[in-house]
Amino acid sequence: MPNNNSLSGVLLDDVALTLDELARAVEVEPDWVVRHVRAGTLGGETTVQITSWRFRSGDLVRARRLLRVERDFDANEDLAGLVVDLGDEIRRLRARLHALGLD
Amino acid sequence: MEYKDYYATLGVEKTASQDEIKKAYRKLVRKYHPDVSKHKDATEKTKEINEAYDVLGDAEKRAAYDELGQGRRAGQEFTPPPDWGTQFDFGGAGANDFFSDLFTHAGRRSGRGGARGFGGGGGGGGGFQMRGEDIHAAITIDLRDAYQGAARTISLRVPQHDEQGRVKMQDKTLSVNIPKGVTPGQQLRLAGQGHPGGGGPGDLYLEIQFEPDPRYRVEGTNVYENVPVAPWEAALGASVSVPTPSGAVEVTIPPGSQSGRKLRLKGRGIPSREPGDLYLILDVVLPPASTERAKELYRQMARDLAFNPRERIGA
Repeated sequence: MPNNNSLSGVLLDDVALTLDELARAVEVEPDWVVRHVRAGTLGGETTVQITSWRFRSGDLVRARRLLRVERDFDANEDLAGLVVDLGDEIRRLRARLHALGLD
Repeated sequence: MEYKDYYATLGVEKTASQDEIKKAYRKLVRKYHPDVSKHKDATEKTKEINEAYDVLGDAEKRAAYDELGQGRRAGQEFTPPPDWGTQFDFGGAGANDFFSDLFTHAGRRSGRGGARGFGGGGGGGGGFQMRGEDIHAAITIDLRDAYQGAARTISLRVPQHDEQGRVKMQDKTLSVNIPKGVTPGQQLRLAGQGHPGGGGPGDLYLEIQFEPDPRYRVEGTNVYENVPVAPWEAALGASVSVPTPSGAVEVTIPPGSQSGRKLRLKGRGIPSREPGDLYLILDVVLPPASTERAKELYRQMARDLAFNPRERIGA
């Protein structure tokens, strides 16, 4: 029997995730996130204080992609970061072509 | 339900080693990755490959799948026996795929408080209890919904505890309010709507996707729209009514415009916290020379205008 509920969510760009929340959403240990932030492969809003780190929609999507590349190809964080960067760039360029009606 | 042959999906023998399965998966995932593949059905193929590898790449899941799959062929109708799978436990049994369907029919008991899943489950015992897994899914909306906000109904298959404390995959229907101003790729978090767990339920993350619209194209918060104009409107300038996602607007076409000229309507893109812009791309459309009168007008232009459209290329 289906349950019916009416729900309102929050956009991660309005209410960002903490380090622990991001780790939980990606199903990794917080250390994994810290390692990627330190390596520069993840996190745009990260300062010295780990407790004040915040992650938005793009970080969650990127973290899941990084993890997939690492797990599927036994890649280290730098290689995974490069693969995800290249994928992001391809998607950005394709979106640009599409926006201009050139695809 | 129809039996899915994961070994065939990955193109390996049933006796393949874990290493062979991993190699086959890597080869296929590179071939069909949507970012690089030219195959029309690359996204669907990637989904199938990932689903197969999620099971065959995990020794425990593979053992359960093998037990069920003896003598079965892809596409064959079957129902798993009621006691099937009781010795296996996989925590969150995944999304809307064949493997999680098996567990709906099997209705197996929740057990371990493992790293992926249901934690204390129906047992309600003390000690450490895991929070339920988060669920990741996508929701597709129209561009107009992003301008106005909308409500969408989604269906998910999630594990639920029944009265005996057993875990079964059940359909769950949710009506979700989509806030105004969302853009593709944004994540909407619905707290407590993930998998159940002894330490509380996980969250549901919905990635916003837009239904393709032949009239509009979206890049971030900016929206692009082609606007057909007549040659005299482009040449002489005009005021034309243009339908936009936020309603019709009156737009001034500057004289001397050419096809491809972009007119920016500031703040008329997606109304996010920082609203995007709407770009109107002019597309000069020639009237057909389908009548004698129309042909004569074109001949007159050819005579009177002395126009060389190929001047720039040296012709």
